[in-house]
Amino acid sequence: MSDIRQSLLPRDVLSAAKELLYHLDIYFCNLVQSGRQPPQVDSKTLELVEEFILHAPKDRNTPARRMSALQELHLLEIMCSCFQEQSRDTVRQLMFSALFSLQGNQADESRMALLGKLVSMAVAVGRVPILECAATWLQRAHRVYCVRLAQVLVDDYCSMVPGSVPTLHNIHNASPRFCCQFITAVTTLYDLTTEELTPPVELLQMIVSWIQDDPRLVLVTFLNMPLSSSQPISSLDVTPLGGLVRWCVKAPLAYRRDKKLAVTNGSSESDQAVGPLFSALHLSVLQVLMLLPNIFNEKGLFGRLALLQLESLAALTSDLSRLLDQADKQTHTSSADTHALSQLVLDRLAQALQVAMASGALLCSREDLRTICSRLPHNNLLQLVLSGPVMYYNNIHTPPLAFSPHAAHSPIPSHPAHPAHTPHTPLATHPSTHPQYPAQPFMTGMPFPFRPSH
Amino acid sequence: MLKDQVMSVVFDGSPLKAMQSSHTHTPQTALSAQELSQEIKSFISGFDTVQGRKLSVREHARCAVRLLRSVPACRGAVLEHLRGVYDEHVSAFLHNLETEGDASSGVSSNLEDIIQEVHGVLSEFIRLNARAWAPLVSTWAVDLLGQLSSKHAGRRVAPPSSSLNELLQLWMSCAATRSLMEAYSQCLAAMLAWCPDACVDALLDTSVQHSPHFDWVVAHIGSAFPGTIISRVLACGLKDFCSHGAKDQGLMIMGVDKGSRVPKIGSVVGILGHLAGHHSDSIRKELLRMFQESLTPSSPLSPTSSSTSWESSPQLRRVAVPFLLQLAAMSPNLFGAVSAELVELLRPPLLLQLQALLQGLPREELDNMLGLAVHLISQSPSGGAQVLRFLADTATPASVIISGPTPSPHEGVREGCDRLLQMLLLHLHKLVFSRSDGVEGNPHHSTSSQPQRVIPFLEELQSHVGELCAETLRLERKRHLWLHQLLCLLSVYGGPNVATEALCQLLTQARSPEELALAWQLHTTLSSCMVGLIPAAITRCVAQIHTHTLGPRQLRQLMLNLAAAIQSQDEERRSAVSTQSSMAIQVGSAVSGHLHDFAPLLLHGDPAVTHSAVRLLSCSPLPRTSSPAHLLLLSRTAVTHFFLVLRRRGEGGKVGRDGGQTGEAVNCSVLLLSRFAAYSPLTLKAVLQQIVEGALHKGNADLFGGQIADMSGAPVPSPSLSLDLGASLLDINCRFGTTVNFSGSVWSVFHAGVIGKGLKVRTSTQLLDPFEVIQNVQTLLTVIIQCCSSSGLNGSQPPSDPDEPPPINAEAAKVIAVTLVENVCPDVANGELSWPPEEHARTTVERDIHIRRCFETHPVLFPLLQIVAAGRPALCYCSAVLRGLLATLLAHWEASREASSVDSPWHLQASCLLVSCMGEGQLLPPVLANVHEAFPHLTPFEVRLLLLAVWEYVRGNGPMPQKFVFSSEKGLFCRDFSRDGDVSRYVAPIHSVLHKNIDRLGHLCWRFQL
Repeated sequence: MSDIRQSLLPRDVLSAAKELLYHLDIYFCNLVQSGRQPPQVDSKTLELVEEFILHAPKDRNTPARRMSALQELHLLEIMCSCFQEQSRDTVRQLMFSALFSLQGNQADESRMALLGKLVSMAVAVGRVPILECAATWLQRAHRVYCVRLAQVLVDDYCSMVPGSVPTLHNIHNASPRFCCQFITAVTTLYDLTTEELTPPVELLQMIVSWIQDDPRLVLVTFLNMPLSSSQPISSLDVTPLGGLVRWCVKAPLAYRRDKKLAVTNGSSESDQAVGPLFSALHLSVLQVLMLLPNIFNEKGLFGRLALLQLESLAALTSDLSRLLDQADKQTHTSSADTHALSQLVLDRLAQALQVAMASGALLCSREDLRTICSRLPHNNLLQLVLSGPVMYYNNIHTPPLAFSPHAAHSPIPSHPAHPAHTPHTPLATHPSTHPQYPAQPFMTGMPFPFRPSH
Repeated sequence: MLKDQVMSVVFDGSPLKAMQSSHTHTPQTALSAQELSQEIKSFISGFDTVQGRKLSVREHARCAVRLLRSVPACRGAVLEHLRGVYDEHVSAFLHNLETEGDASSGVSSNLEDIIQEVHGVLSEFIRLNARAWAPLVSTWAVDLLGQLSSKHAGRRVAPPSSSLNELLQLWMSCAATRSLMEAYSQCLAAMLAWCPDACVDALLDTSVQHSPHFDWVVAHIGSAFPGTIISRVLACGLKDFCSHGAKDQGLMIMGVDKGSRVPKIGSVVGILGHLAGHHSDSIRKELLRMFQESLTPSSPLSPTSSSTSWESSPQLRRVAVPFLLQLAAMSPNLFGAVSAELVELLRPPLLLQLQALLQGLPREELDNMLGLAVHLISQSPSGGAQVLRFLADTATPASVIISGPTPSPHEGVREGCDRLLQMLLLHLHKLVFSRSDGVEGNPHHSTSSQPQRVIPFLEELQSHVGELCAETLRLERKRHLWLHQLLCLLSVYGGPNVATEALCQLLTQARSPEELALAWQLHTTLSSCMVGLIPAAITRCVAQIHTHTLGPRQLRQLMLNLAAAIQSQDEERRSAVSTQSSMAIQVGSAVSGHLHDFAPLLLHGDPAVTHSAVRLLSCSPLPRTSSPAHLLLLSRTAVTHFFLVLRRRGEGGKVGRDGGQTGEAVNCSVLLLSRFAAYSPLTLKAVLQQIVEGALHKGNADLFGGQIADMSGAPVPSPSLSLDLGASLLDINCRFGTTVNFSGSVWSVFHAGVIGKGLKVRTSTQLLDPFEVIQNVQTLLTVIIQCCSSSGLNGSQPPSDPDEPPPINAEAAKVIAVTLVENVCPDVANGELSWPPEEHARTTVERDIHIRRCFETHPVLFPLLQIVAAGRPALCYCSAVLRGLLATLLAHWEASREASSVDSPWHLQASCLLVSCMGEGQLLPPVLANVHEAFPHLTPFEVRLLLLAVWEYVRGNGPMPQKFVFSSEKGLFCRDFSRDGDVSRYVAPIHSVLHKNIDRLGHLCWRFQL
């Protein structure tokens, strides 16, 4: 490939890029046909890509050549058709990773920019192969970059160009895999901690309608994942379930805070519709969780793969306790309203925990749960969930529904992300700091003084 | 159940919402993925692949807009493409302008709708999601604007970049640039809420890049968002100024070309200058705020620095003052906006801070700044007076007597101001004199093409000359030196007009010789380059008198000053110092030309004014020539004033104050009258006539002991009882018709009252103190004698013994005589000089009584007669009066049944005086003239006999002036009685009387020897 460089150098920016693409196509076809396993992209090729497509400065002396936006569009268009016309998946994947797999160097910035535009354009003109490649990319790349790609799409379709939401909506038809990864990235991105990180309503509507239409969409990546495949470090979660649970649980508090801001801006009517959306989403999430036992059983993974991580739940509960505390401090007037909200939040948390544990998506002991929920205010349902079935509550070594990491001996040794075989250290119990709430201590042997109201 | 409900709501709501949004945002039908891909291809290639033809510019642009609406990834490319479209439109627009509409306007309107469309889309986007679009569009718009304006700057129709307003007009009339401008404004309005810094910085960066062609954009934006832009522009300029350092500063003062690197300050000035039109208030506030902020000691805790960052950097703070100075130097507009308030800001605390700041600067930079400040002050078109006062106040050393309104500032500050002031004066001096030098140097060029260089500071101060003069005259330490110097410069600068004004002001306001000396100093300085300054100044003063702009005090001061000036002339002459005498002489001659203008002031209501006026007039030289009207006016006022002064002296004497002043006033008045009388025959005549008439006037009579005699013996009524008799001479005249018999008719009735109405009411008269009367009479006589004796009638004053009073001039005496006759003797009938027989006196009884009554009421007549007598042969002209008086006296003595003549004292005195006068006037020979010595010792009848002899003599030897001969050795006219007939005929009755009373008259016999 190195001889190509000399011929590319005198060309203008666009035609050099075009020619390089052409050469790459041929090169990868040859590579795949030669049958060498595994087909890999060598560093020389990467350098060429960086020089002639991404225009990373080769060294300090030569100034970087830049493409105009028009030329860039032209290049994108060529790439689109190039990927579209390439019939072989392997070659496509190789091309894609040659162009866009992150190398941890200076060129990554322009790489991300180009990738964002390419994917955005592929969404617009419905280039399924590119979306498929992008889905794979999203599985491999570091979550920070995944989030950036999702951000680009959300910006483009949900905020920048009005009326283009339906275009993005279509991706679940075009590429369910991409769609699933997109949802994961989006839920990772928008963690509802600040106003900036609250999903736009259009996006929320879109995701809710996707999952309602097809709950299995959430599991597409998980379903397609080969048993042996390993998750790269700090990539996205396999499913967006964790993020979705977080959304549903935190939403009432987060949007309540936003509403307070929005009242002054006079745009609160859009938030009115948010509540029902999250209710629907919560239901869908529960439904998806209910699907899991069968799938686990089919795959033989029951009790061996935690789709919900205990750590993320711990982060969620500590967030919750902080938010509830704030909410209580901020509103002295409508404490009844605040109470109702906090109960809704805790109810959703309890439901999610119960169903997740029951369906084998969450692998932990009730003791762990009690630890992470210890700082939360009192909630009947949560109390019920934490206490577990009466017959087992005394015997913590034999949890009936969920497999404790202590007991479970994972048969899947090549699962680095899952700390199944590491000895689990119970989380430290925090002393209750909420005098205004009755703390959530586990009351051994105590019958429930009252029944849940619903 | 609950969840079902929720879900149904969701199902209903979410598609609806989606539909709504898609409906509102995309009016056109959404394109399919396939179509979009075609669209992108067409857009890239500019070639319609479906129809197989090239896209027109419009179609291409439409395609771009469609992509902008549907494919987010094309955003950058579309905006880039639109740049070309806008550019094309601008080109077409300018081309259209250049060809003056030869080509149809369709070319530009062709694209105009596209521009509109794009603008619509962009503004819709910005409206819907400002946070996402505003940064994008604003950057794009600003960049494109910059590109367009610098690309087309060289076009023929484009105005030069310096004229912002024209540029603005041109570009705002072009649809493309206007649309960009609007889009940018919209973005900015949206972005101001959350990140104003970024967008303004981008604006300024572009401005720097495309300066100066881009300034119109900033200016326009600035006027739309004054608050933000002004402070940002300033902060940006300051940063730039700081980074470029003081090197440029020096160069730019000199006007050296800025070279390749264009500092932002030029743009800053241009932009602010444009904004100053409408937002000078904001600019002023901002500039002043910057000034203050830079001086207030930086406190790290101050949270105000969040908006702009320059306050927090000590280096920037340090440079702020030079920066502001530089800014002001480059834009008169800005300077004008700030200067007025700046001075008010400079209070002692701030000055101290300023000093502290400046102390840190290197010497060279400090000098630069000082020079700049001086330059600025001299160029400031307004507020110069304030600045000057401030500088003078601050620079004036603290004295024991606190003079300024502000407490004495710190010594360092004072020195700084002192230095500044001196440099300012030096600078002005250079400007003023080099200006005139330049004019002289090349008169061909500068006179016509190049008007004299204007120095705004002086220009403005011209209207404050009065205040300056007043300040100067306060004679405070150094201050008056500075101000005086400035006054000189101002006068030289302003030309004769200002110089005159200054001199005039000084003359009016000076209160002491020291202060007056300033005026002469000024004149001395200016006299080298200006001619006719003093006459002009005097003329202006006179004009002020005429317009009544001066108050009594000022009037008085002015005239006293002038008088002092003229008097200094005499002193100089005495001390033989001729250097400055020309000035005093000039003043004198100038004043002399305006005597008639000062004259009315003699009758001013304020005694002080009249006093000063008389002082001035009395010492001022008289003009060489003058019109009779002026002379008459002058004489009349002078005489009137004389009597006024006499009366005032009387009143003053009574009250017991102002004795010295009124006395001096009288002296001055006397001097004035005598000098004036000596001026010309006309004035002599006028003066004398008026003095005499005045002395006899009813109003003045009491001054000289006169009493308006009442014939009625009615008692003086109480003042409350004043009754109107209802008598009217007019009515009576009408009733009696045209034939009025004067003798013994209604006239006489009116003397004593109207018949049937009882006696005429007596008016109470206040009699003066006899001492005063005597004094007044003496003064009057002095005046008259001086007038008469100093007259220039003879042409030459005969050399005479200074101890002996100069002789009375005959002509002058004649004037008095004639006037006396006119006033005393109302009837011209029988007015001939020669006397009729004594019996004929019966025909003139009425007139004679009148004459006698005159003498009774006006005792001063006798001294006057004596004067006339002294001026021989003038007494001849009094013939009628003498005759009348003598006739009544004869009648009295004839009718008198008293034992001795002493029993009728008045008549006795009158007879004596009459005869002695006639003797003095040489109407009688000495023998006859001496008879009055005998009168007191005789009986009335004998007195009558003697008087008859007198009458007979005069009848026989008529009192004719031609009988007098001028004797050059005496300088007098004399009568040779030997040529007349024999006297002895008339002496016989005298001798008889002597004989009869020889026992008592023996000692007088020798007096009657022939």
